[in-house]
Amino acid sequence: MLTLENLAAAVLLLGLIMYAVFAGADFGGGIWTAFASGPRAREQRESLFHAIGPVWETNHVWLIFVVVVLFTAFPKGFAAIFIALLVPLVIALIGINLRGAAFAFRHFGRQTGREVPLIARTFEISSVSTPLALGVAVTSTATGRIGFQNGLIESGMHSWLTPFTMIGGVTGMAICAYLAPIYMTVRTTGELREDFRRYGMLAGFVLAILTTAEIPVARFDAPLFAERLLSTWATLFVALAVTTGTTTEVLLWRRKYRWAQICAAATVALTIIGFWAAMFPDLLIGQLSLSAAAAPRSALIAFFSVIPFGVLILAPSLLLLYWVFRGEPNPDLPIVKR
Amino acid sequence: MENVTAARALMGASLGFHIIYATIGIGLPFMLMLAEWLAIRTGNETYHQLARRWIRPAGLLFAIGAVSGTILSFELGLLWPRFMEVSGALIGLAFTIEGFAFFTEAIFLALYIYGEQRLSRRMLFLCTIPLTISAAASAVFVISANAWMNTPTGFRPINGTFTDIDPLRVLANPAWAHQAVHGTFAAYVATGFAMAGIYALAMLRGHISEDNKRALTLSLAVAASCLPLMFISGDFAAGFLAKHEKPKLAAMEALFHTSRGAPLIIGGWPEPATEKVLYGIELPKLLSLLAHSDINAVVEGLDAFPPGTTPDPRLVHPFFDLMVGSFFLMSLAAIWFWWLRWRRRKCPCDKWMLWAIIIASPFGMIALESGWLVTEFGRQPWIIQGYMRVSEGVTPGLGISLVFLTFLIIYVALTAGLLKMLLWPSSGKTGISAGQGEQHVDP
Repeated sequence: MLTLENLAAAVLLLGLIMYAVFAGADFGGGIWTAFASGPRAREQRESLFHAIGPVWETNHVWLIFVVVVLFTAFPKGFAAIFIALLVPLVIALIGINLRGAAFAFRHFGRQTGREVPLIARTFEISSVSTPLALGVAVTSTATGRIGFQNGLIESGMHSWLTPFTMIGGVTGMAICAYLAPIYMTVRTTGELREDFRRYGMLAGFVLAILTTAEIPVARFDAPLFAERLLSTWATLFVALAVTTGTTTEVLLWRRKYRWAQICAAATVALTIIGFWAAMFPDLLIGQLSLSAAAAPRSALIAFFSVIPFGVLILAPSLLLLYWVFRGEPNPDLPIVKR
Repeated sequence: MENVTAARALMGASLGFHIIYATIGIGLPFMLMLAEWLAIRTGNETYHQLARRWIRPAGLLFAIGAVSGTILSFELGLLWPRFMEVSGALIGLAFTIEGFAFFTEAIFLALYIYGEQRLSRRMLFLCTIPLTISAAASAVFVISANAWMNTPTGFRPINGTFTDIDPLRVLANPAWAHQAVHGTFAAYVATGFAMAGIYALAMLRGHISEDNKRALTLSLAVAASCLPLMFISGDFAAGFLAKHEKPKLAAMEALFHTSRGAPLIIGGWPEPATEKVLYGIELPKLLSLLAHSDINAVVEGLDAFPPGTTPDPRLVHPFFDLMVGSFFLMSLAAIWFWWLRWRRRKCPCDKWMLWAIIIASPFGMIALESGWLVTEFGRQPWIIQGYMRVSEGVTPGLGISLVFLTFLIIYVALTAGLLKMLLWPSSGKTGISAGQGEQHVDP
């Protein structure tokens, strides 16, 4: 069904995946800064800190992209989601701000020879709370509890505070904690690399347990979602996610880092696609379909006529950014450490 | 606090906060580009070093700008979902283009800031070009959305929803051109004067070096060359308002009664109860001349419009005067500086000259903030002029006062942290240029 609103939904999905795969790793860097342990804890934190520096602001823009696509292409859905999910979104927003500011303060402090422990703690805590809140917000759209009454959105705690969304929140956090160390394995060497390898495998297991646990919980908490998860497409994507996830663990075990990195990103992308395949054709499951939420045709056409130009500028710029800051995490050192 | 009051307060605080960082994010890239270009062109390395010194605090300010911009994009939904529900599809095009521009800005900024050791000097300069263009483009397109709220076009209203949407006419709405020009150049003026103030202060404290003179001259060159454009676009804007946004013009000029040969009122306090302006200076017939190029033209006052559809002049007129006053103050300082510079053929650094620059330096930002307040307060009580009131656009959700309080605390904390970081003298290690030594230390 290649309709304009489905295409717009695909763009939205792409934005969400890019945000998870790129910015997720930055949040993961913050999470592992908090949980770094062992004799090389300090080196782990250092390399994560350097790796985040040049890219986090760009990666963060994917979130703004998602928000803009949502209100441009699905204004009705945007209004409903932002009314019903006020609390988790405000929590996420606070985290986004504190995390960004704390990182910038820390970076500036480093350059001028100052370290403030409070800023470091703020960075770590907000790196945990933000993906948690965003995970809650995203999975809330699958419970069918964001309800309309007489065409008006009902807002309240019950629409987002359920076991399903709680596990969804922790899953959001686990996705971030999963990507960061695996990306770091190709950018570090020796013992440090072994540390990140272990973290990546550990987070992979946790992510597997959480996503598996969501399925029985969904049967009680998000019945329609559980039912649609058994549809052909959803099953296919979930099966693919399981395959790539398992492959990632094997690749990490066998120290094939370059492939593990790609496989891990694919696992996250496929997990999100699987989630959305079960949501299809709704934006808010059982309550608001994509076509009912969509903007008028002329607005969607205008939107799609801008996208190619945007991609034409954005894609090469992004490639240049990641190419320049590949390899050694510290941008002030050469790409390959001698 | 009532929901709509809390929502307005929060949106206002967020925008007022964000505007400062966004302005620097537009103005500074242009300065960086100029400095890097001068360095390559003249072979004078000090221009490059100057630019590299700016980016350390700039990196901090840009980051705050990026995250505070995110607050705004969320607040569109969190505070004004009803407004976004009807207009998201219309102004979405402007925001989509702005989004791509912002993406490009973030990418090339990161390349410029972090790429010193990995890119050639030529490449660093080349990075500042898309950086400057995309920064200006984000301003221009986000202003289109605001201009549409002032002069909504490109749709047909039927039963509270907008149909027959023509996104290009929404984007290129009547107020866009002058608002975009006026708003974007204001960012260059504000940045230029703010930086000139910092260097003037350093020189007044006795750090009279060639570097500081160069930086002062460069900042004031940018600011001074944009000031005439501010005047021209401002004059054009007044003429536009006289035709398309009459209530706003009436509130700006504190004109209560429709009159022929209307006077221009400078200063004073408008009192809606008595419909008089207290303590204002009246210049006869000047408003008619400025608005309609005819000293006997009729200018509509606030009484020409139904009650409850016009803005409160007490919130508009003072800020308008503040904006115009700031312009003249900055112009005086700039003219004085360039007069001395031209006479002596070198950067003047007399005490009184430097003081004048320091006094004028915050007024670029003050003018920009008050100009924004004029255009926003001047649209009240509407969120979409003539179609939707602010109170109709607000969220039905509860507890917005609490959200307002929370973000107020965050803004205060961020500002305090920022000031502490920028003003607190650093502990000796200031000379680290590339940071090679201090990082990767053994545990």
